[in-house]
Amino acid sequence: MSTIVEVRGLTKRFGSLAAVDDVSFRLEEGGIYGLLGRNGAGKTTLMSLLTGQEFASSGSISVFNESPVENARVLEQVCFIKESQRYPDDFKVKHVLRTAPWFFPNWDQDFADQLVKDFRVPLNTKMKKVSRGQFSAVGVIVGLASRAPLTFFDEPYLGLDAVARQLFYDRLLADYAEHPRTVVLSTHLIDEVSDLLEHVLLIDDGKLLVDSPADELRGSATTIVGARDAAERFVGAREILHRDAIGGLVSLTVAGLSPQEKQAAKAAGLELGPVSLQQLVVRLTTGTPTDFEENQEVSA
Amino acid sequence: MTTATLAPAARPLGRRLWNVVRLHAANPFTIFGTPLLVLSLILALNWLIWWVIRTVAPDDPESVAEVSQGFQYSGATLWIFVYMMVVAIMAMNLTFSFALGFSSTRRDYLLGSAATFVGLAVFYSLVYLLLSSLETWTNGWGIGGAMFTSIWFGVDSPWWLRLFHVFALFLFFLALGSSFGAMYVRWKARGLVLFFSVLSLALAGLVALITATGSWPVVAEFFVGVGLTGTYALSLIVSAIAGLAGYVILRKATPRS
Repeated sequence: MSTIVEVRGLTKRFGSLAAVDDVSFRLEEGGIYGLLGRNGAGKTTLMSLLTGQEFASSGSISVFNESPVENARVLEQVCFIKESQRYPDDFKVKHVLRTAPWFFPNWDQDFADQLVKDFRVPLNTKMKKVSRGQFSAVGVIVGLASRAPLTFFDEPYLGLDAVARQLFYDRLLADYAEHPRTVVLSTHLIDEVSDLLEHVLLIDDGKLLVDSPADELRGSATTIVGARDAAERFVGAREILHRDAIGGLVSLTVAGLSPQEKQAAKAAGLELGPVSLQQLVVRLTTGTPTDFEENQEVSA
Repeated sequence: MTTATLAPAARPLGRRLWNVVRLHAANPFTIFGTPLLVLSLILALNWLIWWVIRTVAPDDPESVAEVSQGFQYSGATLWIFVYMMVVAIMAMNLTFSFALGFSSTRRDYLLGSAATFVGLAVFYSLVYLLLSSLETWTNGWGIGGAMFTSIWFGVDSPWWLRLFHVFALFLFFLALGSSFGAMYVRWKARGLVLFFSVLSLALAGLVALITATGSWPVVAEFFVGVGLTGTYALSLIVSAIAGLAGYVILRKATPRS
């Protein structure tokens, strides 16, 4: 295992607000990481810090074993596709694609040309005038064709339709298999990318809540479905992460069960199901149950 | 025991700076096409005005010479200097964010931009010299007009001095634009308002001081003493300060969305 990013006690303050609050983690080379969290959780700030665009208030960042700040050696190996990237006013799509190869040493022009066709981006339209989806597609093309050993995608699919999103996932996986690299994908469309992710970092309110392999995280909770009485008896005093009820049936989400407990549940006539990453994230990042959940509990 | 992945050596500095220069020229229409086109339009417009004036003015040789001399007070080309200032402001504001988005360091971006701006000043002062030679050679575009042989750059100076005057003025506007743009990126409109307030106060204070001490003749004497070339040479100091300020300010700036 080789470390590509190491962050220790990283904090970034804007005035009194800590956008990133004492965060520590390590990324190993090779792998698709999901950087999950709600809007404003600090995902973009964290990635801006890792790429030297923002300056840390305190803590240390090491990318390729060096500080990324003002470090051409490191930054040439990094590509950060920012959701809110600004382009010069006079730039058309073709200008973005013409300049990108100068800055990314591993750029693959054939791949870029293919992606332009796949995503159908209009080369002669100004970046200011393209639709949100096309704007995102330009970023996706640059991010993929740059083949940077460390690539960050910040909400890469905003405005992309379902076909284009699928295209992005397919191209990313195929190219990743052929040219292994480290990809960090920030997203709140969690269910859609959950199969892609090998490791999950969950950030909320600037703090790192979860740093775990995706499989482990998925296994950390189970949904129990069955008759209300049986299910509630089984769950007992355990904390219920999520509850759905239809008629006499309930679906309860609880934290990880041991194999013995799973057997006991099956013996009690209950069905066990996996919990989606999205549900877990929603549960972990909502301090209090939503009104919807509360209403359900009242009506149940 | 984990090891760290290391980055290969960076590409040479010259290559990285050249990338930034090319980035500024990626859409050549902005820094070459538009200015040259508008300059041609202004020339055409001026030509028509000269023609009108020549038609109504008396055509004895003395009047003709007088009118031609009057044309030399032309400020028609001032526009292109201001345009270059806007180019610099826009470059600092948007191209800065874009270059950082393409993994450029601030240092590479700023040095590359400085090279671009010096290059632009050289290019446009050469264009200016060429056009002023053409103007002289065609006897004022065939009509005794004057747009590029203007009094402000020295009508009687040798060509290389005129080239220097124009170059210094282009550099002045580009450097000023860079520092304004840099202030905007770092401190937004509030920073610019504060800066111009302080600058206005300082200038007003200076004027008051000179007036109170009755030093205007000294000031006038000073500028007569250093002459046109000396004044342009002094502007290089202001340009250097503005350029350096832009560099220092942006080294600590972050791209904002």
